[in-house]
Amino acid sequence: MKYSSLKVSLLIPFFFYSNYGFSEEITAQGADKVRDFYNEEHFIIEEPEAGEQSPASGKPQTINGVRIGPGDDKTGYETTGYTTNSVAITARQGIKADLIRVVENPPLGLPEIPVPVDNPLTAEKINLGRKLFFDRRLSLNDTFSCAMCHVPEQGFTSHEVEKAVGLEGRSNRRNSPSIYNTAYLERLFHDNRETSLENQIWGPLLSKNEMAMTSFGHVLQKLSTLKDYDGLFEAAFDGEGANILTLGKAFASYQRVLVSGNSAFDRWYFANEENAISDQAKRGFELFRGKGQCISCHSVGEKTALFTDKLAHNTGLGFKRSMGKKPEKERMLIAPGTYAYVKKSKKDLVGHPEMADVGVYEVTQNPDDRWKYRTPTLRNVILTAPYMHDGSMPDLKEVIAFYNQGGMLKNESGFPNVTQSPLIQPLGLTENEINDLIAFMETLTGDNIAEVISDAFSTPVGDTTNEH
Amino acid sequence: MKAHHLKAKNIIEFGLNFNTGREKQPYVTISTKQYKLSVLVLMRIVNLGDDMNIKKFISKPLKVLAPFVAASVMATNPVMADETCMSPYMVKIVGQEDFVYVWTLGVEGLGDGQDKMVTVDVNPKSDNYGKVIASESVGGRNEAHHSGFTDDRKYLWAGGLDSNKIFIFDVHTDPAKATLVKTIDDFVSKSGGVVGPHTTYALPGRMIITGLSNNQDHGGRTALVEYTNGGEYIDTYWMPTDDNLQGAHKGGQFADGYGYDVRALPSKNVMLTSSFTGWSNYMMDFGAMLGDAEAMKRFGNTMVIWDLHTRKPKQVLDVPGAPLEVRCAWKPENQYCFSTTALTSQIVLLHDNDNDGMWQADNVSDIANPADIPLPVDISIQSDDALLWVNTFLDGMTRAYDITDPHAPKEVYSKKIGNQVNMVSSSWDGKRLYYTTSLLGNWDKKAQDNDQFIKLYHWDGKEMTEQFVIDFHAEKLGRAHQMRFGAYSLYGKTAKVEQAKNPIVAMSK
Repeated sequence: MKYSSLKVSLLIPFFFYSNYGFSEEITAQGADKVRDFYNEEHFIIEEPEAGEQSPASGKPQTINGVRIGPGDDKTGYETTGYTTNSVAITARQGIKADLIRVVENPPLGLPEIPVPVDNPLTAEKINLGRKLFFDRRLSLNDTFSCAMCHVPEQGFTSHEVEKAVGLEGRSNRRNSPSIYNTAYLERLFHDNRETSLENQIWGPLLSKNEMAMTSFGHVLQKLSTLKDYDGLFEAAFDGEGANILTLGKAFASYQRVLVSGNSAFDRWYFANEENAISDQAKRGFELFRGKGQCISCHSVGEKTALFTDKLAHNTGLGFKRSMGKKPEKERMLIAPGTYAYVKKSKKDLVGHPEMADVGVYEVTQNPDDRWKYRTPTLRNVILTAPYMHDGSMPDLKEVIAFYNQGGMLKNESGFPNVTQSPLIQPLGLTENEINDLIAFMETLTGDNIAEVISDAFSTPVGDTTNEH
Repeated sequence: MKAHHLKAKNIIEFGLNFNTGREKQPYVTISTKQYKLSVLVLMRIVNLGDDMNIKKFISKPLKVLAPFVAASVMATNPVMADETCMSPYMVKIVGQEDFVYVWTLGVEGLGDGQDKMVTVDVNPKSDNYGKVIASESVGGRNEAHHSGFTDDRKYLWAGGLDSNKIFIFDVHTDPAKATLVKTIDDFVSKSGGVVGPHTTYALPGRMIITGLSNNQDHGGRTALVEYTNGGEYIDTYWMPTDDNLQGAHKGGQFADGYGYDVRALPSKNVMLTSSFTGWSNYMMDFGAMLGDAEAMKRFGNTMVIWDLHTRKPKQVLDVPGAPLEVRCAWKPENQYCFSTTALTSQIVLLHDNDNDGMWQADNVSDIANPADIPLPVDISIQSDDALLWVNTFLDGMTRAYDITDPHAPKEVYSKKIGNQVNMVSSSWDGKRLYYTTSLLGNWDKKAQDNDQFIKLYHWDGKEMTEQFVIDFHAEKLGRAHQMRFGAYSLYGKTAKVEQAKNPIVAMSK
C-alpha cells in the first residue's frame, strides 16, 4: 500500500461519488467532489499500489455453494480499492451432515477422538447439542447463543471483533477461540482453566459478560419452558431430562465432532501425496520446524499432528498489553482506505478502562504463570483471524513479525518480562521466509469445512416465538 | 408481493399527499380505515368541528373526496405544526405541543434500572411545564433507541436495539401518559432473523421498521420489516447484497446490506435508507470499539433508494463513513433529502436533479472539523427547508446550517448543549428545539461527562435561550434518548385540570 496524504487518485475515489454511470469520463466537477470526500486536509488516504493485486485475491472461497468466510467480507477494506463482497442472510441455507462418522474414521492427520466413557457419542446428542449451540434463548435476554461469537462460517470464531462482546454489549478481554478440534484438548479456554467439554459450557452460560444466565437452575428452568425441547433430552439420555450433567453432555457432543483434518498438508506429510502442497509451502514447513522453531509449541507427531502442545506460554504479548505504554494517538480506519488519528484522551472519554489480563496466573495464582496463554492449534488457522488471545493481530504476517523480533523482554520503562518463554527468541526470518511460512499455514485447512458450515446452517437459529 | 398484501386490506389510491401539501404525487396508498381516520383527525385540525355530519362526510366516494380534504388542509394550514422529521403521512399538531415523550434507557443501579417512556409536560400554560408527569417502565434494558408514531398518531412504537422488542404505547387515550399496551417480542423470528429494530416509521396503515443487524453473525447485514398498525407482521425486505441485488442498480463499489434510518419522499415514490453498523459494534463499549481494528471495518458505506410503492430496492449509492439520519425537505418543489456521515463528518445531499429516476449522493459540506471525528448524530430540518440542525455527539454542540442552497450548506450558528448531545427535535414553527443526550448505552461518555438530560431552547432565528432542563440522572430515570411530541388537540381533547396538579418529578433548574 502506498501512503499518500495529498495526492489523491482521481480515478478510484470517483467511484464513490458517481453512483451511476461511473464509466463516464471524469469531469472537473467530478474531480472536485472526489477531493471533497477524500478530504486530504482531514484524513489520511490509503490507495492500492499501482499493480497491487486486487483485494479479491484474499477474498473468501466458496466451496459447493458455501461461503468459507464472513458473509460480509471486508478483505481489502484498508485501501480505497475496497469493493464489497456480501452475501444475503437468506442465502444461509444448509444440509445436515453425518458428523458422527468422524468417530469411526478420524480424518487423516488427527488421532482418534477421545470420548468420555460416561458420554458416548450418539446422533441424538449431537443433534441436541447443535440445536442448543444455535439457541439465542439460552441467554438472559434471548439474544445470545454460542454461535453469536463462534460463527460457523468465520472458523467458529468471530472475524468481526478482536475481543468478544457479550450480553448487553459487555466487554470481554479475549478473542473468541475456534471450536474446531477442541475434542483433543484436556484443558479449555485461553488460560486452560476448564477441564472438559462437558464442564465447559457453564462458564459462558453463567458469565455476566457472556450469556449472563443467573444460575444453573435458571438455565434449566428456562429450557423447560421451551416447548421445542420437549422430549429431546429424554430421547438423547435414556429418559433422563435436562439437568446440569445432560446439558453439558449435549453441548460437548456437538463440539466434540467438529474435528477437521485431511488437509493438503496432511495428504503431503502423512500420505505422501507429493503434489498436495506447493514447493513454497514445503519450504515453509522446513522453516516451521527449523529456523522458525514454531514446532516447539505447535507440535507435529509421527502419525498425527495437533499443532499444539496444549501448554501455556508467555510469548510477550500479554505482558505488552498489560505493562506496555499506550500511544497518545492511534490511526483509525473510518471508511474504506480512509484514516484519522484519534487521541487516547478522546477514546478514554467514551470507554471504560481496559480490563487487566494476567493469563494463567488468574487460575493458578502463581506469579510464574503471569501472561501465559495456551498454544492454539494451527489447523484451519487461515479461517480464524484476527489472531492471538486478544485478537490484536489482523493477519498471520503480523503474528510472525511479532515472533520474529522475539516477543517483549522488557517494557518501555525497562520493567522486565521475567516469565517470557525462553523459546521466544529473535528469529531473523526474511520477508520471503515469512511468506513461505504463511504458504505452509494455508495448507492446514481441513477438507470438511464446507460440510460443517452447511450442517450448521441447516440448524434453525433459536429465537423467541409465540407459535406453539 | 406487496400489492397482494395491500389489496387484501381494501386499498384506495389518491393523488395528493394531504399532510404535506405536496402536489404531483404519483399516488399514495392507504387503507380505507386509515383514510377515514385521517379525515376525522384532519377535520379536527382544521376546526371543522364536532357538529358536522362526519359519517356522511366520509361515506362519499373516496377518490372524489381526497383532493377536497387536501385542498382544505392546504388552504387553512399551508404549513402544519409539529416536529419536522416525521413521516409525511402523519397527522400533525397545530401550534404548541403539550408533551414530549422521551424514550429512556434504564441504567443498571439507577432507579428501577429499566427502560421507560417518560412523559414531559412542555406546555408553558400548564402548571407542570418542564416537569416529568408520567413514566412507564417496560422491563429490562432493551437498548431503547428510537420511536415513531403510527400514521393516525394514536400509538407510539418504541424499539429496543438489543432485546429486539417493540413496545407500543397508547398516546391518544390519555396523551398526558404514554401507556404500554402491547409488546412485540418475536420480531426476530417473525422477520426471518432481523436484529435491532431501529426506526419505526409510519406509512399509510403500516409501520416500516429498519433493522441494524441479524441473528446469524450480529454484523451489519439487515432488512426493512413491515407491520400493520395493529402489530401484525407483513413482510421483510432485505437490503441488497452483492449476490442478490434484487434488481437494484449498484453504481459504485459497495452493496454492504447494512441499514439504519428510513424516510419516504412520496412525491418521488421513493424510500431512502441509510447504514450504520451491526449489534457487535453498537452494543460495544465505544472506547473499546475505537481501538478494535476489525470492528472499525464494520460500518455502513451505502444508502439505498427504494420504490416506495413496491418496496423494491432500486439503487445502491456509495456513501462512505456511516450515513445515519435521513431527513427530507418539505416544500413541494424541494425534492431532496439530507443525511450526515457519523465517521467522516459530511453533510450528504441526496437528489435526483436530472429527474431521471437515478439518485445521487453528494457530500456538500464538512461538519465542524472532520479530522476531530466530532461524530454527527441527529439532524433536524426546518419546515421551510432553510436550516438544518446538526448535533455532534463528542463535542456536545448543535450547529445550524443554512441550506437554502442545498448544494452548499453554510454553518450559521453553533452552541454547546452539554458534555454530549444526541437528539434534537424541533417544533414546526422552528421556535422550540428540544435536546437529549444519550447516543447508545455503551457509547455515552463515562463518569462526569455523562450528561443525561432533556433541555428546551427557544430559537429566535439568531440565538437560542434555554427554557428548562430536566436532569435524568438526578431524577433516577436513566439515559434520555429519542423525543416525540404529543398534544391533546390531535384527539379532540383538552387538558384536564386535575392532571396538572401532581407531577412526579420536579424541574431541576
